[in-house]
Amino acid sequence: MTAIVHASNLTKIFNGTVKAVDHVSFEVEKGEILGFLGPNGAGKTTTLNMLSTLLRSTSGAATVNGYDILKESDAVRRSIGFVFQDPTLDIELTGIENLDFHGRIYGLKRDVREQRIEEMLEVVQLTDRADDFVKTYSGGMKRRLEIARGLLHYPPVLFLDEPTLGLDPQTRRAIWEHIQRLNRDKNVTIILTTHYTEEADYLCNRILIIDFGKIVALDTPDKLKARLEGDVVSLTFKDPAAIAKTRPLLEKKDWIRRVDIVSGVNNQAAMSRMMQMMRRMPGAGGMGGMMPGLSPANAGGGGKMPKHVEQMLAQGMVGANGQHGHNGGPKCLNLLVDDGGHRIPEIVKLVDGTGTVLESVELHKPTLDDVFLSVTGRNIRDERGSFMETVRRRRIIRHARGQRVRG
Amino acid sequence: MVQPLSGQAIYVILLRELKRYWRAKARIIASVAQSLFFLATFGLGLGGFIGGFGGITYLSYLAPGIIGMGLLFGSVFSGVSVIFDRQFGFLKEMLVAPVSRTSIVLGKILGGAVTASIQGIILMTVAGLMGAFTPTPTLVMGAVAAVGVMLLITAGFVGLGVAIGSVLNDFHAFQLLATFVMWPLFILSGVFFPVDVAPFPVQVAILFDPLFYGVELLRWCLLGAGTPLLGPFGWLTALGVLVGFTAVMVGIGTYLFSRAQV
Repeated sequence: MTAIVHASNLTKIFNGTVKAVDHVSFEVEKGEILGFLGPNGAGKTTTLNMLSTLLRSTSGAATVNGYDILKESDAVRRSIGFVFQDPTLDIELTGIENLDFHGRIYGLKRDVREQRIEEMLEVVQLTDRADDFVKTYSGGMKRRLEIARGLLHYPPVLFLDEPTLGLDPQTRRAIWEHIQRLNRDKNVTIILTTHYTEEADYLCNRILIIDFGKIVALDTPDKLKARLEGDVVSLTFKDPAAIAKTRPLLEKKDWIRRVDIVSGVNNQAAMSRMMQMMRRMPGAGGMGGMMPGLSPANAGGGGKMPKHVEQMLAQGMVGANGQHGHNGGPKCLNLLVDDGGHRIPEIVKLVDGTGTVLESVELHKPTLDDVFLSVTGRNIRDERGSFMETVRRRRIIRHARGQRVRG
Repeated sequence: MVQPLSGQAIYVILLRELKRYWRAKARIIASVAQSLFFLATFGLGLGGFIGGFGGITYLSYLAPGIIGMGLLFGSVFSGVSVIFDRQFGFLKEMLVAPVSRTSIVLGKILGGAVTASIQGIILMTVAGLMGAFTPTPTLVMGAVAAVGVMLLITAGFVGLGVAIGSVLNDFHAFQLLATFVMWPLFILSGVFFPVDVAPFPVQVAILFDPLFYGVELLRWCLLGAGTPLLGPFGWLTALGVLVGFTAVMVGIGTYLFSRAQV
């Protein structure tokens, strides 16, 4: 195996002070799928933008497909395909015209271009909608068209920035299948960013966990999870004050390996189960994504909203996610326990003894969420991006979901 | 920094601008109609009141200026559309492609110049049908020369638009742009009255309006070299000023676009 992407001490400092990416070094093997996992603002997109020459690094070096990102930027750009987080299609053109533009600007000859366009439309199953204007596409169709476009020039490396952000479960599943097929059949090395742990777990050969611009872990999903041997027991209390009372007691037990405080709603176990169920769902993938309008085209789909409404929405979202804010602190503890099932009665007895009231107890095998929590000390689902970031994401998600198919 | 140019990239971006222009039929009709309203109300209405001067009708005098207006508005907005490209993300698709930013911006400027000039040709034809220009054998040559002048004018103003669009980050500034940049350029281009009837300060302002030289050249092409309504300069001076303006604007637009953040 040889490395196709090589980064050493890659650093980006914005405005002289903000270290978005801080001395990041890693290698990506030819043919692998590497996932950057991290919360909003961790530095995932900034790293990708540097590797793709869109952004100049402050210091450090990197090569992509053997070319230096600073000195050979044209060769780097010829070697990569990039599917951006925000939509970047020309919606006034048809699907085919968007691909044709791409093929021409990458200098593909007419016959090659036509054959590739046909092939790629086939791959993302958009052949029958190719001559429709992109403005009539659903969010999932747009995403697939962007992926087709990113691959048109047969790049050895494909960057996918949050490929399934804001998509409904069926479409997400379909996109995952496309990504895997491309990786397998076309031998494309794929580097993606995500803040969905299920996505990283399902898709990636290796996961790079990044937080505050630094790499905190880099390994295969299985090995990452194996770091947390045992079971995770999640305790949710009625009262935040219970954390302080029970935590020291729990930490004293030698069969409890770790005690992590979980901020926000402790729903990651439920989420993981949902995702697992979804994977097993027959017919959920493949054609599922082909059914436009399947996603709930909910509020905000009907065009532009006044700015203040948008802001209120965004604030509402911050409020909903930042639950730890108004109830006086976190109410959940995650315990890493050997043989968790048998220890639950003991744990409950111990907690009862302190006079605190438990709301629920859950037991599950460690997921990447737990790994993330253990290496960063925080729950990945916490929104901690800036206010503007939240507004922007809100817009992307709404954009992806809200497009109804006309006619 | 010298960046390699790609003819293919320039051509593709030009092609995209043409496609988008051709599809926005409502916009073509609206902007042509707007210019025609001016031509009809001022040229025929006000013109009937004024009569003519210098041996030609007021409609004839007005027509090149109204064409200039169409060119100005069409080209500046076309240039400013880099804001939309950025807002709707398509700019990233162009910037991540293995072509220089200079190629991209030149394609954009060429595309804007061609589409705005098509607008100008439509206006020129309609004005001709309204009887603004005396049909002579030289008019055909004049019209061809006028198309060349149109491309020159529009390239300059698309450059200006691109420069503005690269610096401004949202389209709320559009209204300001229209009021404080485009209307003064239009009003001071000598469209409604000859320079020498204006008060001295206005005359000076007119001489600093690049569109004035464009309109002068269009008049010279379409009304004939003998028309006594030209400003203080001959056609060669006007052409020189216009070429200089266009070169500078394309340069500034290219520079600002190249260093703009995505």
